[in-house]
Amino acid sequence: MIYLDYSATTPVSYEVLDTVSKVSKEFVGNANSLHALGLKSANLLESATKQIADIFSINPNEIVYTSGATEANNMAIIGVAMANHRKGKHIIVSKLEHPSVYVICDYLKSIGFEISYVNNDENGLIDFDDLKNKIREDTILVSICMVNSEVGVRQPLKIIRQIIKKENIATIFHSDMTQAIGKVPVNFHDVDLASMSAHKIFGPKGIGFLYKSSMIKITPLIYGSGKSNELKPGTPPLPLIAALSKAIRLANNDLEKRERFVNLLNEKIVKFLEQYPNIKINKTKYSIPQILNISIMNIMPETFLHILDKYEIYVGTNTACSSGNISNSVMAIYNDSKRAKHTIRISLSYVTTTDEINKFLEVFKEEYEKISL
Amino acid sequence: MKKIIILKYGELTTKKDNINYFIKTLKKNISEVLENIEHEIYYDFGRMFIYVAEKDIDEVVNILQNIFGIFEIIIGFKDENTNIESIKSNVLNLVCDKEFKTFKVITKRSDKSYPTNSMEINNIVGEYLLTNISNIAVDVHKPEFLINIEIRKNEILYYFNGIKGLGGYPVGTLGKGLLMLSGGIDSPVAGYMTIKRGVKIEAIYFESPPHTSELAKDKVIKLARVLAKYNSNIKLHIINFTEIQETILKNIEHEYLITIMRRMMYRISAIIAHNNKCNILINGESIGQVASQTLTSMRAINEVIKMPVIRPLACFDKLEIISIAKKINTYEISTLPYEDCCTIFVPLHPVINPDIAKCNLYEKNIDVDKLVHKAIKNHEVIDIKAKEDNKFIDIL
Repeated sequence: MIYLDYSATTPVSYEVLDTVSKVSKEFVGNANSLHALGLKSANLLESATKQIADIFSINPNEIVYTSGATEANNMAIIGVAMANHRKGKHIIVSKLEHPSVYVICDYLKSIGFEISYVNNDENGLIDFDDLKNKIREDTILVSICMVNSEVGVRQPLKIIRQIIKKENIATIFHSDMTQAIGKVPVNFHDVDLASMSAHKIFGPKGIGFLYKSSMIKITPLIYGSGKSNELKPGTPPLPLIAALSKAIRLANNDLEKRERFVNLLNEKIVKFLEQYPNIKINKTKYSIPQILNISIMNIMPETFLHILDKYEIYVGTNTACSSGNISNSVMAIYNDSKRAKHTIRISLSYVTTTDEINKFLEVFKEEYEKISL
Repeated sequence: MKKIIILKYGELTTKKDNINYFIKTLKKNISEVLENIEHEIYYDFGRMFIYVAEKDIDEVVNILQNIFGIFEIIIGFKDENTNIESIKSNVLNLVCDKEFKTFKVITKRSDKSYPTNSMEINNIVGEYLLTNISNIAVDVHKPEFLINIEIRKNEILYYFNGIKGLGGYPVGTLGKGLLMLSGGIDSPVAGYMTIKRGVKIEAIYFESPPHTSELAKDKVIKLARVLAKYNSNIKLHIINFTEIQETILKNIEHEYLITIMRRMMYRISAIIAHNNKCNILINGESIGQVASQTLTSMRAINEVIKMPVIRPLACFDKLEIISIAKKINTYEISTLPYEDCCTIFVPLHPVINPDIAKCNLYEKNIDVDKLVHKAIKNHEVIDIKAKEDNKFIDIL
């Protein structure tokens, strides 16, 4: 099997799986219980959280565990909207967000909020002037993903934060960092809220967290008991949390070295594909190397996907969460609907090998040239 | 240019004959907390210089912000090129990304053989900055930004505004004290304030299993760990108080429960303190806060020992105490909801003005010496480091 869809999800690494199993077996107490078993679990919970907090230089109480990035996005965006609706009902998002963000915005629109979409330039970079002009006195939230899931464009969050806070100091800044964490260095201090998910970094599915700066308040979406967190009450899923913590630790080893390696693989593929006039490379100078988006203009992407299936080679069509539609991000950057309809996303990881890429390109050449005739 | 960390001493500068002892202790304390980071320390009577690798600077500055005896932490830049042209360009390079509207240049020349004098250097550098950076002005009285240039033998030192340190005296310069640490809000704050005066502390905690839980003990360990950050490490004495408490409950007039209990705690603490070379007891009592903290109660309790008891919070109100607890990050731990041995067995109406004669009379019903010595004989000691060993290294 050659797996090239790491941005959709990753397999759980052996070390992380070991943690899930160990914790499930050995830490049976509820971290909210008063007895010694509960204390043992509570201590592990605390250490796991502290490890994450230390890696990102944040405070442990700024971490809210969620089932993943979609829940974190809901918690952040709806939570800010509910907490601030008296101050304003205006929210700004980019045109490069994960589909879940747009669905949340549609819901908020239906209950009276106003959503603006900030433009980007031909490289996918947020249009700073447009952002500045769109921020108003009643703008309560700006949500811009750090790395776009389809084309991999990375936004300079520090600059965006400066622009936002200069225009309106009260506007809260959220960023979906799901595609960034574990791939490129992140700084939570650039934002007020950030979402992430473990299954993109060799962790289990069903766990992620929301970073919420202690300086801001949001309204909880879920109500219940348990001392762990007022935004996410209930029994903490300790095996998943410990696994998340470990996955984050492992993902942040040698970040830059791994990025350089993946960049070599990425460039090898690009160089190979450039020989075909009907293949367009949807890569800008701000794209991270782990995500490589292409448009095969003369074939429907599903067709090619199924051909690759036969060889047990797996690539993605834009994001897994929006299959079937056109790629919003490619549309937003290139403004070409055909190009946006024909996208394939090849996503790489530091565990991808040169052999795998060679084999993939060999198959690609054979099958693509056959079908293009 | 090489980055170095410059420390200005706190209150030490008021010491005369023994200033060397204070500075040496500060150096020892810093070396201890930096044991895992490669570093070199030099000092004179005015300042201390710490050399570390550039990548470690932020971490070291963070650590130094928890060390008592430091008035200011400054990141300085050292250069061996001493000619005036390089001074000009170095200063411009260093300040061009800083935001300020007014500034002042202060030059010190410890190398008096340097051809240009301090005033002239101030003028030359000031003028150079004014021509190269727009919208700034010199203000010699209240500048926003201070540019310090120090001309030393064969090297130049540049530094700007620093970060405020914790102040106080270096820990250990004034000997040792024993802190009576409960799980509450007050006692950790009392410990912090005593450490600030240069007293190294050990702590004593009374537990009553099974009436108090492991969680309560764990909470005290966590509090001690926070204090250990300022104290370099803490020896925590844990006394099993169950037998004493149960004996008191059975044999003593209920309104005097708390008074006698506190008297027993004082007796045990004073002996532990003496055995561990601690000269004082420290606790978080605040006048009038609860029944055992009225003046008559304090007198009735205190009279069982001769050792001085320092009560740093005696005259603080609760809100002042809470604000310090929040600042030093003990508040969140202290407010975790576990019973400690002072909150179980509380009589409905504890005596507010206990009578010493009555205390002595009631204590005739129990064997004070035997109970005290048994508790001390069986006590547990835990050495607590500021940084917790990762217990879950194989899991996380």
